[in-house]
Amino acid sequence: MCVACPGTFVYYDRTRSSGTHPVTYTSLLLLYASGIITGGIGALLGLGGGVFLIPFLVLVFDLPMHQAIATSIVAVIATSSAGAAMNLERHTVNMRFGMLLEIATVLGAVLGGITANLLSGAVLKKLFAFLLLVVSVLMIRRARQRRSAEEVHLDGTLPGSFVDDATGTEVKYTVKRIPSVMSVAFVAGNVSGLLGVGGGIFKVPAMTMLSGMPIKAATATSNFMIGVTAAASAFIYFANGHMDPYIASPAVLGVLTGSIVGVRLGRKIKSHVLTWIFALVLLAIAIQLYVR
Amino acid sequence: MHEPVTDATVEHWSSQVLRYGVWGSAALMIIGLILSALQSFSLPAPEQNPSLGELVHRVWSLTADPIILMYLGLVLLMFTPIIRVITAIAGFAAERDRRFAWVGAVVLVMLIGEIVYSVVAK
Repeated sequence: MCVACPGTFVYYDRTRSSGTHPVTYTSLLLLYASGIITGGIGALLGLGGGVFLIPFLVLVFDLPMHQAIATSIVAVIATSSAGAAMNLERHTVNMRFGMLLEIATVLGAVLGGITANLLSGAVLKKLFAFLLLVVSVLMIRRARQRRSAEEVHLDGTLPGSFVDDATGTEVKYTVKRIPSVMSVAFVAGNVSGLLGVGGGIFKVPAMTMLSGMPIKAATATSNFMIGVTAAASAFIYFANGHMDPYIASPAVLGVLTGSIVGVRLGRKIKSHVLTWIFALVLLAIAIQLYVR
Repeated sequence: MHEPVTDATVEHWSSQVLRYGVWGSAALMIIGLILSALQSFSLPAPEQNPSLGELVHRVWSLTADPIILMYLGLVLLMFTPIIRVITAIAGFAAERDRRFAWVGAVVLVMLIGEIVYSVVAK
């Protein structure tokens, strides 16, 4: 059953053998619009589109969980790759640290992807509801934290530097506690493969608090890694037949559009209030997903 | 005389790979959707996703329909980060940074292993 638009939105449900449903202009436009909204919100809040796209697809369009996750994974690859391309030109990515962490995230993502295809949609839904609860709490915590001057360490390894656009000064740093950050990266990769999100909400705090990276470099490096992490499990979902081109294509195009708009709007809108609002929205969605 | 490869060079190469990969895949998806709309969406999505071999065969033999184009866009998108890893390996090797060329190689082997697993386990 489609909550949003009974009778106008249909999709091909591979979990049933009852044959195909016709695709309509309305369904494609609705998917594109949902991608724009979720991609835009994700870009405004620095979360990526997956956290909002999956509940949208499941609760509004009644999509099976595996298909929603598969759609989200390719959308995450698109937005993170587009963002990483910009960050690489700005030299804010620590490529060496990112590639080292990719060993952990890829391993986690592969295991997560394999596990997800062994679990039922109902179990994945409840796990995703729990993830939204965790993300909501982390967002509230982030909104309440006062921004203090960042401490950078110069006695670690894998040095990096970038020019801070806000101050025009060069920021040099090194990274520490790499094994601890790799452990968190493994968990983030596992969550990404299992539930179709980017995992940046776990990686960025680990990189700033554990390894002492400046937030801009941590965000850029996390974004750089997300594409590879998502690609690691995407092929598993593809091989299991969960990727419908009529659903994934408009959703990916919408999320790409929305994230470009969201990044531009984000420069003008203070995200503090938005973070609070959407943290509470995520909490409500988490309850809905768990109960349904 | 060739200019030495630096970190900035590797970052630029990687950025270009990601940029062309994303926009190339978006173009394929848009073309597929438009062609499908022109055919009034008469072609339903198949019950199983085509294999990578079948996708290559359909494109090579010029028998790709709009759905195959959309699948091609999705698969190109999935391969884009992998091509980025290959680019980084080449860049670090050119910089004579063997340690991180090997790190990249480990990541690449894991990704290739996952693709092989997906194909075999299907």
